[in-house]
Parts: sequence; C-alpha cells; structure tokens
Amino acid sequence: MEEDNYLTRIVDEKIEKISDNSNVYSVGTVTGVKNFLIRVDGMDRVMFYEKINIGDKAIGYVSAIHENYVIVAIVDIKTPIIVGDMSYSTNTLFQGKYSNDAFGRIINIFGVDILSSKKFSSLIDLPIERPTIAIMDRTTVNRPLETGITGIDMLYPIGKGQRQLIIGDKRTGKTQILLDTIVNQKNKNVFCIYIALGKTKKEVKTVYKELVEKGAINYTIIVAAFNDDLPPVISLTPYFALSIAEEFMKSGRDVLVCIDDLKRHAEAYREISLLSNKTPGRDAYPADIFYTHSRLLEKGCQYKNGGSITILPVMETKGNDITDYISTNVISITDGQIVLSSKNFQKGEKPAINYGLSVSRLGGAVQTKELKEMGTQIRRKLLSYLERKSVYELVNEDEMSAELKNSFKEGEQILEKLRQYKFSTKTHQEMIDLFQDLFQKE
Amino acid sequence: MLIGRIISISELNVKMFLEDNAKVCLDEVLYCDLNGRRHRFEVVDIEENVISTIPFDSVIGLMKGLEVYKFSDKLDIEYSDEILGRVFNSYGEPIDQKPISSLNKRCVYDDIVTMENLNINSGLLYTGIKVIDFFAPLQKGYKMGLLGGAGVGKTVFIKELINNIYMKSKSSAVFIGVGERSREGKELYDEMLESNLLDKMSIVYGQMGENSVARSKAVYSGITLAEYFRDQKNQDVLLFIDNIYRFVQAKSEISNELKNVPVENGYPTTMISDISNVEERINSVDNGSITSFQAIYVPADDMTDEAVQSIITHLDGQLVLDRHIAEEGIYPAVDVFKTTSKAIDVRVVGERHYKLVERVLKYLTRYKELEEIIAVLGLEELSDNDKNVFYRSRKIRNYFSQPMFVAENYTNIKGKLVAIENVLNDIEGILDGKYDMVDESKFMYIGDLSELNIS
Repeated sequence: MEEDNYLTRIVDEKIEKISDNSNVYSVGTVTGVKNFLIRVDGMDRVMFYEKINIGDKAIGYVSAIHENYVIVAIVDIKTPIIVGDMSYSTNTLFQGKYSNDAFGRIINIFGVDILSSKKFSSLIDLPIERPTIAIMDRTTVNRPLETGITGIDMLYPIGKGQRQLIIGDKRTGKTQILLDTIVNQKNKNVFCIYIALGKTKKEVKTVYKELVEKGAINYTIIVAAFNDDLPPVISLTPYFALSIAEEFMKSGRDVLVCIDDLKRHAEAYREISLLSNKTPGRDAYPADIFYTHSRLLEKGCQYKNGGSITILPVMETKGNDITDYISTNVISITDGQIVLSSKNFQKGEKPAINYGLSVSRLGGAVQTKELKEMGTQIRRKLLSYLERKSVYELVNEDEMSAELKNSFKEGEQILEKLRQYKFSTKTHQEMIDLFQDLFQKE
Repeated sequence: MLIGRIISISELNVKMFLEDNAKVCLDEVLYCDLNGRRHRFEVVDIEENVISTIPFDSVIGLMKGLEVYKFSDKLDIEYSDEILGRVFNSYGEPIDQKPISSLNKRCVYDDIVTMENLNINSGLLYTGIKVIDFFAPLQKGYKMGLLGGAGVGKTVFIKELINNIYMKSKSSAVFIGVGERSREGKELYDEMLESNLLDKMSIVYGQMGENSVARSKAVYSGITLAEYFRDQKNQDVLLFIDNIYRFVQAKSEISNELKNVPVENGYPTTMISDISNVEERINSVDNGSITSFQAIYVPADDMTDEAVQSIITHLDGQLVLDRHIAEEGIYPAVDVFKTTSKAIDVRVVGERHYKLVERVLKYLTRYKELEEIIAVLGLEELSDNDKNVFYRSRKIRNYFSQPMFVAENYTNIKGKLVAIENVLNDIEGILDGKYDMVDESKFMYIGDLSELNIS
C-alpha cells in the first residue's frame, strides 16, 4: 500500500510538472542500455515516435512511453551509449529522408547515397509510415504488369496493384524473377523500387551491377538495409520505401516494389519484440507479426487516380515447406504466390516454378482475352498432366488410353516451352505464338 | 467533463490517470484531440485511479499529459433500415461518403439469445455446389465454417455462396470483412453495386491494414446489424464473416500488449469466452433466423490450432479446403473426409442420400490406400475389384470439381448450379459402373453428367 501511495505521488508530481511546463524541448538522462533499446528518464513531454538525439552519439525514436521513463529505439549509432548520457527531444516525429536524385542509386532511410557514402544535397522529409489506404479509394486491379516470364504472365498473371509473393528455398531463383521483371519494365513507364532487407553488401552490389548492365537502373531506386544494420532500421526500411512509392502513386504513377525478403524482416521484428519483453507466440514471433506484414503489403493497390503500387515480396523457405507460420501469414495477405522448387531448379527447369502450388487470385482479370483463353487452357492441361503423371507413372505405355498418352505428350511439350533462361523476357505476342500449336480454340 | 490524463503510451495500450471525481466503466469510449485529429480509446481495465485503454487507431504523436474526455458510454452502430446498402467501418461509421439521417444507435455488445427464444427447427437449404450439398448440406439457421490454410480458396467459396444463395433469395444479408484484403472488400462492394444487389445488404469492414482494435470490433458491429434484421424485421438473415479467425488474432495482439498472460501460441487468456460471446449471438429465434457462413483461416496449415478448434466447437457443419487437392488442380479443393454436417442424418436428408455418402466415403478411403500401393507396384497388380474402385474414385473426385460463377476469371468456364437430385443420380451412376467407359478427364469442371451425352 505504501508503495502504491508513493507511485501515485510520483505520478501526481509528474502531471503537475507537465501542466505547468512551458519549455517545448525536453531533456532526459540515459538510465539503461539494452542492446539497441535505451531507457531514458526525465523526458516528460515527448511524442510517441518522436525523434530523439542521444548527445551526438546516436539517433533514435520513442518506441514506448511509460509512467516515469521512455524507451528509445536506436536507429543510428556512432559511439557507444553509456548510462548518464543526455538525450534531447526534437519536437518532430521520426521521419525518413528522400531525394529526387535517388533514381539509379542505392539509398537508405537517412537519405544517404550508399555508393558514395554522402548525403544527397536536396533532401525531403517523408513519413516512415502513413495511414492505411482507405477501402473506398481503391479500384479494380485489371491492368497487366508484364514480367516477361511465360510461366507467370500466361499462367499466374500479375496485375498493376497486385501483391504477388515469390516464395522458395535458397538458390531457387527468387531474386532473378524480380530482376527479370524490373528489366522488363524498360520503356513501360513504371518506376521500380528494389528493397534489400538484411542482405550482404556484396549481394546488393551485384543486384545494382546487373541492373546497370541491363540498362534498368535509371528508372529504379534501390533502398537497402544491410544485415549489419540495426534491427529497427531493417524493420522500418520497407515502410519507408513504400512511403516513397505512395508519393509516386498519389501523383498518378505506376510503381513496382520488390521486397527482398520478408523472412529477414520478420526476424528483425521478432528481435525487437522479444527485447522489448513482448510475449512470444507461435515460433516465438509476437502476436502482431501478421499486422506488421499486412499493413505493409496493403499499400499495394490500384488507386482511384489511376496510379498503382504493385508489390512483389520475397519469402525464403526451408526444405521447400511453404506451410510454416510466417510463409502462410504472408500467403494469406498477398493476392497470390509464385512457388519456386529446388527440385525443379536442379532438374534445370528454369524458372523453377511449382505450377501446382502457385496461385494468382486475380487470374484472367488482368490478362487480355486472348492470353486468358490460352492461359486457362494450358494451365488446366499442365496441372492435369502433373497430377496424372504422379499416379500413372508406372503404367505400361501399351496399356495407356489414347487420352492419357496424349495428355502426357502435351504435358511434356508445355513444360519444355515454359523453360526460359534469365534475362530473356518475352512479349505477350511471343508467348501466344509459342503456344499456338497446343491451343484448341473453344 | 475531464476524465483524466495520459500517463503511458505503447502501440495498443494507453494508460490514463483519472481525475479525482471521475468515474469510468469498462467499454466506455474516451477521446482526446490533438492537432485537429480526434483520438478515441476504449476502457479495458481499471485499477484504482489508473485505467488502461485501447486506441481506435494509430498512437503516433500522442504525448503524456494530454487531457482525455468522455465520448460515449459504449461503442454503438446505426440500428434502422438506413443500414441497407451501406458500408461501415468497425466503429459503426459509414465509409461510403453518404450521410445517415436517423440516429437510432445501439450498443454493439448487446444481448445473447436465451434458451427460451432459441429456435432449432429448420429445413434444408441447398447451394447448387455439388460437394457441399452432397457431403455437408445446410439448414436454415445453420453455422457453416469454411476452413483452410492460406490461399486454398476460402474467399472464392464465400463469394460463390453469396452468388448462389443471397442473390436468389429475398433475405437481407450482412457481410463482415475482418482482417482480410481491402482489395477484395472493395471488389465485393463494386460487384454488388453493379449488379444492383447492394440494396438488401449491409457491409462492415475492419480489414488487414487497420489496427487490431478495429479488426476485433468489426465482428461486434456486424453482428449487431444482423440482429436488427432478425429481431426488428423478423427476417431470415444471411451472415457472411470473412474471416472469423482474424478476430481471435486481433484479440491476441491486444491481449499481449496489455501484458495479459497468454495461453498456447500466444493466444489470449480470454480466447474461449471471446469466441463464445460472439458465436452465441449468431443464432435463430422463432420469428427470424441467422444463417451464417464463416471463413476460418488455419494458421500454418495446422488444424489442431487452439483458436481454430475453439471456433469449430460452435459450428453445425464444416467444409475443409486442402492444399494438396488444390495442388492437383481440383477446385473447390475440398477434403471430403474432414467435411461434415449435422444434417447428414437419415431423418434429415433421407436414406438414399445418407447411404450414398457412406458408399462414396468407403470408395475414397480405399482409393487412398490404393494410391500408396500403386506408387510401389503399379496398377496392373490390383484385383479387378480394386481397379474399379480406383478408376471410379478418380471420376468421383473429378466430378466434385465445379466451375464457379465467381471464378470465371481463373477457369474461363461459366459457373454452374447442380440440383441435389442430379448429384445423387450421377454419383449412383458412377458407383454402379455406368460411366466406366468414359475417360476420367471428362468429369472435370462440369455441372451434372447429362453434359457427357451418354445414352
């Protein structure tokens, strides 16, 4: 009881202080350091999510306000923080920095041109996160986004404003599908944003080099948070990149956003949550891991003014299992998934798409009539072939019915035609021509 | 009147210190204004003079010391004919840019149907979807669950049911979108509007881009609308909920942020009572009924998940969608072994239907066993009897695929309705060997077997 009174008194005093406090900027003292989460006492008047400077050592934002202290999550640190360091509020929310010179460059949320390690000269403040896009401001997704990959454009098409997941094990060609798609947007008036999350610097530089070589870099921005960046930075980067995309969309542009990858993002978010004492749920992820990804991917839409954001998130799996917690969460958010299989990859069937498990929820709605008619028929033939092959594999060829034999023959031809080497995208007309001989007009 | 001041803030939990004479109750709605924006909070916990509240939307920019006032007693929603053809957010506010003139509001946490009023007699309700009418027929006032992992076709199924049942009936309907895609929400609205079917439907959306408080409240608001049609208009209401699992998920997020002790997998302590409170309201009374269709997301394809199991307890029937069947290209991808209904009873569906279900399940069980044998030995080694079982089972399996009206974009085939009589005849025919000479691929994506033109 005595302790209760004590607490009440403290709170009373604080509130009194607040009400007659006239200074706008408040100052606090660091009283605890737990990895990248800093406990600060004495900051009475800070906003949730306000930007905080810890001396000139580090920058962070307010991630929780408690009765008599606040928690600051550090996003950028120069020298180690010790207890007793002074912290200063800034009276502004934590925001990302963006420059219009970012096209063709690799950038981060601080407005740094990573290739030259310099800040851009003209920087604009952009909110890291914006309110969700209202239901009534969205319109139907019905324009195709051409990836140039036959197995996608014809069988599991992607529309402008769609969210299509690319999921598969390590080394199955996930990033390659993103690169092919970006390169295929050349002269199509689509801005591209490639978000690298928790990748090595080498990997990101390779992506950059490929895009330069293919002449795709001048309409692309690479937004990167490397694997040695602080978890809050990895966690915030995709939101910031989508904030940039939203800016373009609201001015009527079509934007393609690739997120590589969300598994790493989930892990960074889990790290922050567990360190902030949130209760672990399934696979030790916090309960709001679904919302973390759903509100991010809900930025993808066909907007009422004609602009759009298409999102291709990537998810890495283990042992070709797409039914683990995080993967199914994201599958349940996106408008479909392209599943890549390491078995197909090893067999040389590239792109290594598992046609049985892949889905596009928009289907023919984003295709031309011609491609839709052909695509649905070819897909039905292919799936029927794959299923029957697994059952009738051991049947003697002499005992097969004519229908079965024909289905097997056609199935093999379809698979052969779907093979496509990297950076050899096709136009829709080329795809239609390719499959003309297997298509029966209904 | 000033109620108190904010003393702590985290994403889903804002604590306030009460003024000396301020009195608050649970579920009361409070607000504070900051930079021209109104933030609202609902009281969930009271301890001496400190209260915990959950914020209706983002807390970014909030500060300690902000003054909080009373907004209303409890969350409420319009309760009149004006809800027809309208779209609301979780908090009962219209979001379709049209005003509401009357203000007959009603609290969203209202009463539960008493045993005295509960009605459990009802007739069969066919959907025209072969697999559901045959394996899991519905009755009026029924609670049907559509279970499935991510991306196996729950939402398409719900939309097909809206197409087949709602569009053909005079009943009013309520659609509650909980934690699902905003794109689909808008598409449903547009489609209903275009086909002039919105006039007897009310929609509530708390979709996945919104915070967990919004997502959890959508269910309460939507059920209150359904109760209006049932209790005030004495109608047989259709209630579609996509997706009820998201309700539990949203509650988990809130519960964790309030530092309540979780049960397994991080689900909230109050999960079972939360689900019961909602499900017990979805019932029929003497003068009106609620027939509900509830999509249930199965996390990580794990049917033993506690939340999923707790919801299933309340259902009269369930339809389970399966990833392996979807992988084989058969849609709707129904796992007939897990699909059940209380109506599969000789007294309800009649002896013929009942016996046929038994026969089909026997065949399909044997087929599953045979599949394993064939994988090792091949087909030739089977006995003639088993060969028949094998080939006929594959035809039955294919027969239960069906072109859907709302899936024309995927199949390029127009949707089809099949009368239950035809389903029974067709199944009997296949089992008796009448179609042994027809190739199995002919059975895919058709209506009834008269399409095969076999004399």
